[in-house]
Amino acid sequence: MARTAIGCEPLVGSLTPSKKREYRVTNKLQEGKRPLYAVVFNFIDSRYFNVFATVGGNRVTVYQCLEGGVIAALQSYVDEDKEESFYTVSWACNVDGIPFLVAGGINGIIRVIDVSNEKLHKSFVGHGDSINEIRTQPLKPSLVVSASKDESVRLWNVQTGICILIFAGAGGHRNEVLSVDFHPSDIYRIASCGMDNTVKIWSMKEFWTYVEKSFTWTDLPSKFPTKYVQFPVFIASVHSNYVDCNRWLGDFILSKVKLSVDNEIVLWEPKMKEQSPGEGTADILQKYPVPECDIWFIKFSCDFHYNAAAIGNREGKIFVWELQSSPPVLIARLSHAQSKSPIRQTAMSYDGSTILSCCEDGAIWRWDAIPT
Amino acid sequence: MVSRASDSSSKSRKSYSEQSNDGLGNLTYKLNQLKKQVQAERVVSVKDKIEKNRKKIENDISQLLSTTSRKSVIFAMDNGFGNMPLCKYSGFPQGLGDRDYVNSHEVVLSTSSKLSHVQKIPPYTTWIFLDKNQRMAEDQSVVGRRRIYYDQHGSEALVCSDSEEDIIEPEEEKHEFSDGEDRILWTVFEEHGLGEEVINAVSQFIGIATSEVQDRYSTLKEKYDGKNLKEFEDAGHERGIALEKSLSAALDSFDNLFCRRCLLFDCRLHGCSQTLINPSEKQPYWSEYEDDRKPCSNHCYLQSRAVQDTVEGSAGNISSIITNTEGTLLHCNAEVPGAHSDIMAGERCNSKRVLPVTSEAVDSSEVAIGNENTDTSMQSLGKRKALELNDSVKVFDEIEESLNKKQKKLLPLDVLTASSDGIPRPDTKSGHHVGAINDNELQMTSKNTIKKSVSAKVVSHNNIEHNIMDGAKDVNKEPEMKQSFSKGELPEGVLCSSEWKPIEKELYLKGVEIFGRNSCLIARNLLSGLKTCMEVSTYMRDSSSSMPHKSVAPSSFLEETVKVDTDYAEQEMPARPRLLRRRGRARKLKYSWKSAGHPSIWKRIADGKNQSCKQYTPCGCQSMCGKQCPCLHNGTCCEKYCGCSKSCKNRFRGCHCAKSQCRSRQCPCFAAGRECDPDVCRNCWVSCGDGSLGEPPKRGDGQCGNMRLLLRQQQRILLAKSDVAGWGAFLKNSVSKNDYLGEYTGELISHREADKRGKIYDRANSSFLFDLNDQYVLDAYRKGDKLKFANHSSNPNCFAKVMLVAGDHRVGIFAKEHIEASEELFYDYRYGPDQAPAWARKPEGSKREDSSVSQGRAKKHQSH
Repeated sequence: MARTAIGCEPLVGSLTPSKKREYRVTNKLQEGKRPLYAVVFNFIDSRYFNVFATVGGNRVTVYQCLEGGVIAALQSYVDEDKEESFYTVSWACNVDGIPFLVAGGINGIIRVIDVSNEKLHKSFVGHGDSINEIRTQPLKPSLVVSASKDESVRLWNVQTGICILIFAGAGGHRNEVLSVDFHPSDIYRIASCGMDNTVKIWSMKEFWTYVEKSFTWTDLPSKFPTKYVQFPVFIASVHSNYVDCNRWLGDFILSKVKLSVDNEIVLWEPKMKEQSPGEGTADILQKYPVPECDIWFIKFSCDFHYNAAAIGNREGKIFVWELQSSPPVLIARLSHAQSKSPIRQTAMSYDGSTILSCCEDGAIWRWDAIPT
Repeated sequence: MVSRASDSSSKSRKSYSEQSNDGLGNLTYKLNQLKKQVQAERVVSVKDKIEKNRKKIENDISQLLSTTSRKSVIFAMDNGFGNMPLCKYSGFPQGLGDRDYVNSHEVVLSTSSKLSHVQKIPPYTTWIFLDKNQRMAEDQSVVGRRRIYYDQHGSEALVCSDSEEDIIEPEEEKHEFSDGEDRILWTVFEEHGLGEEVINAVSQFIGIATSEVQDRYSTLKEKYDGKNLKEFEDAGHERGIALEKSLSAALDSFDNLFCRRCLLFDCRLHGCSQTLINPSEKQPYWSEYEDDRKPCSNHCYLQSRAVQDTVEGSAGNISSIITNTEGTLLHCNAEVPGAHSDIMAGERCNSKRVLPVTSEAVDSSEVAIGNENTDTSMQSLGKRKALELNDSVKVFDEIEESLNKKQKKLLPLDVLTASSDGIPRPDTKSGHHVGAINDNELQMTSKNTIKKSVSAKVVSHNNIEHNIMDGAKDVNKEPEMKQSFSKGELPEGVLCSSEWKPIEKELYLKGVEIFGRNSCLIARNLLSGLKTCMEVSTYMRDSSSSMPHKSVAPSSFLEETVKVDTDYAEQEMPARPRLLRRRGRARKLKYSWKSAGHPSIWKRIADGKNQSCKQYTPCGCQSMCGKQCPCLHNGTCCEKYCGCSKSCKNRFRGCHCAKSQCRSRQCPCFAAGRECDPDVCRNCWVSCGDGSLGEPPKRGDGQCGNMRLLLRQQQRILLAKSDVAGWGAFLKNSVSKNDYLGEYTGELISHREADKRGKIYDRANSSFLFDLNDQYVLDAYRKGDKLKFANHSSNPNCFAKVMLVAGDHRVGIFAKEHIEASEELFYDYRYGPDQAPAWARKPEGSKREDSSVSQGRAKKHQSH
């Protein structure tokens, strides 16, 4: 975007921390030397809100955050293929509420792990290239959606192992899809973004019968009539560079954009153009700057209530933004002399009192809010 | 809006001419003020939006929270994650974590579950199946767009666009004005006028060209000034129904979206808004009922012709009767209520339907309807009596019957409108007025109705009309005086049916174009529900009767109608003689079927040069193609889609092979790299069935073997992991040499686009580009079929060939030799020297002779 028109200026957050909340390091784990790409709390099941998982290399590990900075390692899974490098992991569960972990990476195979009996539940082969993100539908946690380098987004039923929909084709992404997210209340809606600099909003409303069918399918999953969703309901070229993370914030979208040296998270409102359905414009409302972050594949995370978002940068620092204040307020800027390695992803706990970060050098940092 | 500022602005305008500097200073101040205001409002609006959204999120979260509480605990283990933690890592004591150095816990877990190995599949980009080539959509172009790659080895660094030439600055984009900018623009110009300095100041302020500012101002002006007007127009527009549109407007989408080559809407191959090519030779009229003299319906013109004959024969008879008509009419006036209870009953039903709507005035509505009934029934009755008088003319009965039917059909509508319109307006004062109008309209109506039923050409007949009209008028008058409201609607309803709307006239003219002057077919196919055959026929005669000869223009009213219609006719088509219709029967096109392929085609084959095919675009030449013909110019043959005459010298004449099944170069089509076309070739036909359905008998010996792409006579292709590299295409069933396996489909892209994409694909090390002709390259990367996965081999078992199929170039894959079932398919991509990837290169020395390959062979696209 060249220049912002008068009257369309976004509200940019100041980088001076408000110190509303202060965090300090309470633990640090070292999980080998391979980069850790993802860390995620379980927001699917209220009994396990303090359980989180990390992925890196061919390993998936499950931990629990306990009082006093204690972290308990619960389970560990190793892919037999040493070449595998997991990029993403998400919590899900089957219809009975048994928790699953869904992980994917460079091999393009989605691994569904039944953590209740520590067994591989299913493996989904189908993506033509590496998987960059997996997200779970919070209202129906047996549904997961995956974003892949093969330019498609796919909807899966982890219960039955069915690939229900493929979001690709005529109106699809034109380069790697880096991120995807379910709308928090509109169950039909997802937003995806990627290296083609666009954010696309898709609706599966017309295909919902297939989603329902996937729950009762008893035949082989490969026989399921997987459908292509070729046209998004909204396409926005909000950004002049790639977008590697996007999340719904109510009806607005938060997306992380690369700038020349810094990155920023942008909060924008999708606005449909009336004359041409599918095409849209983005009204950028607010900006949350993320300095020193000129590398890609760095993802941010929000707490359960979407009050705050935490994002790491190349220098190992974490910025905690208050999302829903206007203009945005930087709650805290977390740094530690030893945290120098790029932070690939953060995880905020249910109430935002704990922030975890996983780093390029294989370290997991735990930060806890100082009680006031 | 900005009252404070406007004071200062009016001052500044006053002194504008002398003290422009001062004015400008003022202007800048004003602009800044406005900007600040707009921005302040923006901040408020963003805050509002965020606040609104916050409430929504709160709501969503509470919903989410309830779904996360899973009470049905199936497994009763302590935490659901095994019996006990593998290991616990204690946190840093208070304050310790703030130190510069912290000890980290090495996570070394003694036990970990194995995720068993799963065979991964070769990489691919998600693609969509195409059974037919598609032209690239505008937004799919990669030209001028930045592409992001990442360094395979560095894993981190992203490379944006490879070379400088790629960074093409996008054309000067039109500035999109925000509401805030609009406001500034509008306010300033409204207050300061459109002086040059003002415009300059504003354009500088917003940061765009002055011309754009001016343009925007005029659009805004139109928007604000024209607002009321537009609303008015919109309201009017909504009321309009399709029938009031002109035919050309109604056909607009047909003309623009219908592909005449593929015979479907929204063709993805040839695109929308193709140039319409009208054949210079008209198709022979489609005629089904040519010799069939049976009437097509009760309303057939053949019926009326009989009437006409009788009428003409017994003209004297009628005239003697006419004098009685009036009396009879008056007489029947009294009879009406009782005698025609059947009609009444029918209408009661209607009135019942109306009742709920007008519950308030049930009584009056009934009365009104009753009245209506009387009117109409009397009207028809009048006619009936008038006609019945002439017993010898039996056909009249039929007419009358149909007329009655028609009227019945009309009535529900009329009654509905009458009661709904008339009742809420119990204003009897206007009764006389309504009556007066009514009178007039009814006059016209009855005239029209009669005109419909009885041909209006006979003078004596005309007299009847007048008489009946008079009668109807009398009949009408009485009820009018008694109950005068709610009658105006009826005549209107009748009028609608008898008057020709513009679109009906246009449809009629199209009908004449298609069917000739065959009112049965026109009425049935184009005007069904709008006009009967008889009406069409009458109309037809009227419009032709206005031609110089024979016109006994009956009344001024009719004359007028005819005149209008004639105008139409004269505009749209030349006056045709009556014989025209018959011309449709046998219109032999005389020209030689002798195959005389276009010289240049022959030459090309003879040369055997590796020359790419030329894209065909239909020409719109009239009759013969001369030097100006684009086909001739491009070096393509004229095809059946061209406008030129079939005898055009540049046309490809097809083949007349009798026994060869067109499978060898003996067949001119085959030799020219074309598939045979049943529309063009003499003995190449397509048949389904065994002849029991009356399809054309076999011509020639066997079915033509050169229409395999057209008929999609393809083999089942399987997709699996290749024995060589990545994916491969395999054959399900065994085939013999030269068998057709399938089509290589994809997106049609320009060569420029292909060069750009080629570079992208080279990085990914997989290309699905295929040279098609001088204009297009096929790209199967994101859209295509399984044959795109067939690998390259210098010793292949298949070959690709570009064929011209009904004007389009398509790539067919054929067996080069006998292939067994489930064998992998290979063909020679025909890489240029040194362009093949390492694995595809031949071992030393065995370079193939390039010239040995015939020109038709397709080759993979090479980027330059």
